[in-house]
Amino acid sequence: MKKFKEALESGEFTITAECGPPKGTDIEEMLSHAKHLLGKVHGINVTDNQSAVVRIGSLGVCRLLSEMGHDPIFQLTCRDRNRLAIQSDLMGAHILGIKNVLCMTGDHVSAGDHKTAKPVYDFESVQLLQCVGKLNSGTDWEGNAMKGATNLYQGAVVTPESNPLEPQMLKFEKKIKAGANFFQTQAIYDMDNFKRFMDRARKHDVKVLAGILLLKNAGMANFLNKFVPGITVPQELIDKLKAAGKEGALDAGMDIAAEQVRIIKEQGLADGAHVMAIGLEDKVPDILQRAGIA
Amino acid sequence: MIITKAKEKGDVVATLKDVKSVFLIGCSECASLCGTGSPEALAAMKETLEAEGKKVTGSMMAKTGCQVLGTKVELKPAKEEIDAADAILVMSCGAGTQAMVEVFKDKRVYPANDTTFLGNMTRFQQFDERCSMCGECIIDKTGGICPVTTCPKGILNGPCGGTNNGMCEVSPDIECAWAKIYARMERTGELDKMREIVPPKDYSKKLSPKVWVIEKKKEEK
Ligand code: SF4
Ligand code: SF4
Repeated sequence: MKKFKEALESGEFTITAECGPPKGTDIEEMLSHAKHLLGKVHGINVTDNQSAVVRIGSLGVCRLLSEMGHDPIFQLTCRDRNRLAIQSDLMGAHILGIKNVLCMTGDHVSAGDHKTAKPVYDFESVQLLQCVGKLNSGTDWEGNAMKGATNLYQGAVVTPESNPLEPQMLKFEKKIKAGANFFQTQAIYDMDNFKRFMDRARKHDVKVLAGILLLKNAGMANFLNKFVPGITVPQELIDKLKAAGKEGALDAGMDIAAEQVRIIKEQGLADGAHVMAIGLEDKVPDILQRAGIA
Repeated sequence: MIITKAKEKGDVVATLKDVKSVFLIGCSECASLCGTGSPEALAAMKETLEAEGKKVTGSMMAKTGCQVLGTKVELKPAKEEIDAADAILVMSCGAGTQAMVEVFKDKRVYPANDTTFLGNMTRFQQFDERCSMCGECIIDKTGGICPVTTCPKGILNGPCGGTNNGMCEVSPDIECAWAKIYARMERTGELDKMREIVPPKDYSKKLSPKVWVIEKKKEEK
């Protein structure tokens, strides 16, 4: 199986999944989920204190997954680090053999479990992308020479269902200008909307992986619609989950996700899919199989 | 203006635990507009403290409480009342309180308010934060709307993924700064400017404590 960058740049339909490190040092379940994904995905994102909830740092987990045989994508947010810490973590990633970095601003601390913390945001995503570019070229942010450059493949995120969309598109373009090679999108469900977004994204020399979020049941879909900005689950899908009943909901959700991946691949809508299963990573191989991949 | 909020009565009383007599100082500027250092606020504080068994030896409204020299002069007539007090309770912002710390070298000086932000009075007794005094104004690049202050993440280059029908993901009560900036720059025909990448802030401009001396123009002869 090709590595993430190699697959993406070769034009192969590229699959990534996600690994959310736990709070606490018991990593058995996380590692077992990651093992399920070996040989099934080109890359695996490791989240960085996702939702501003304290967990194991993404860098250490990236290293463990790379030892396991994965090609990890190091998610790096600007919420918890100033520009010094960001650069030292990026160099750290390089020496640990990590090849990919996903540059994000990061959820606000008010969303998490340490609401009294000081949010940092010394940089934000666009500036972080620029910073990776500088380190890759052998100087630090201030232009001081480095003894050995980094070699990181940098990407970013975009929300195709953002409302209003125009400012989001403008930022998407800035991220490309700042050096983003690839994008993983926020979860998308409405294929027509996604097509419209991709028509615009295709004008740029950049790779896009469509965000596929596994719906576990109708309640989750309603929750996403109500509380997660930038995600819209169409009523039709909610009805499908409902019709499947309590027992069958997850299975129906897997079918929906698989169908999305299949359509995106078959119609060449995007360069790959980023499958998020939040805690059910062991289901990802099954989803891919149903989608006709691997 | 500097926005202050009155501390909880219980907290003020706790601060004055070891003190029997108090002199109160208010301020006619921001703290009066916020209702935390006005003559009415001073009168209410006097009542509260007396109910707690404290003696209020007197009070004074400073014209501009953060103006050290001027306030010192204004306080002269109250010398006896001040001497009779164990402590001074300052009902202004943190700057006004420390102006009094500077004036009264050997006397206890305590704050009655929490100082919160630089605010615009957008309605009667409603204050909104629009500028956080970053030391290097960049709103020429952002349609005159400050993302440093009005975006909770201080993002300088466009909205995060959380913008929600024009509202901010951090709170449904806040409008997304970037939705506003975009809309305004569209109206003013400046969207091209919005495409330029804004560099990170220079935080050396915001390091505390700051001192600023305005030099008098020397007359050239
Ligand atoms: S950029 Fe914002 S915080 Fe800085 S001076 Fe201008 S208005 Fe104030
Ligand atoms: S929703 Fe808008 S204002 Fe809120 S954090 Fe994101 S960009 Fe900033």
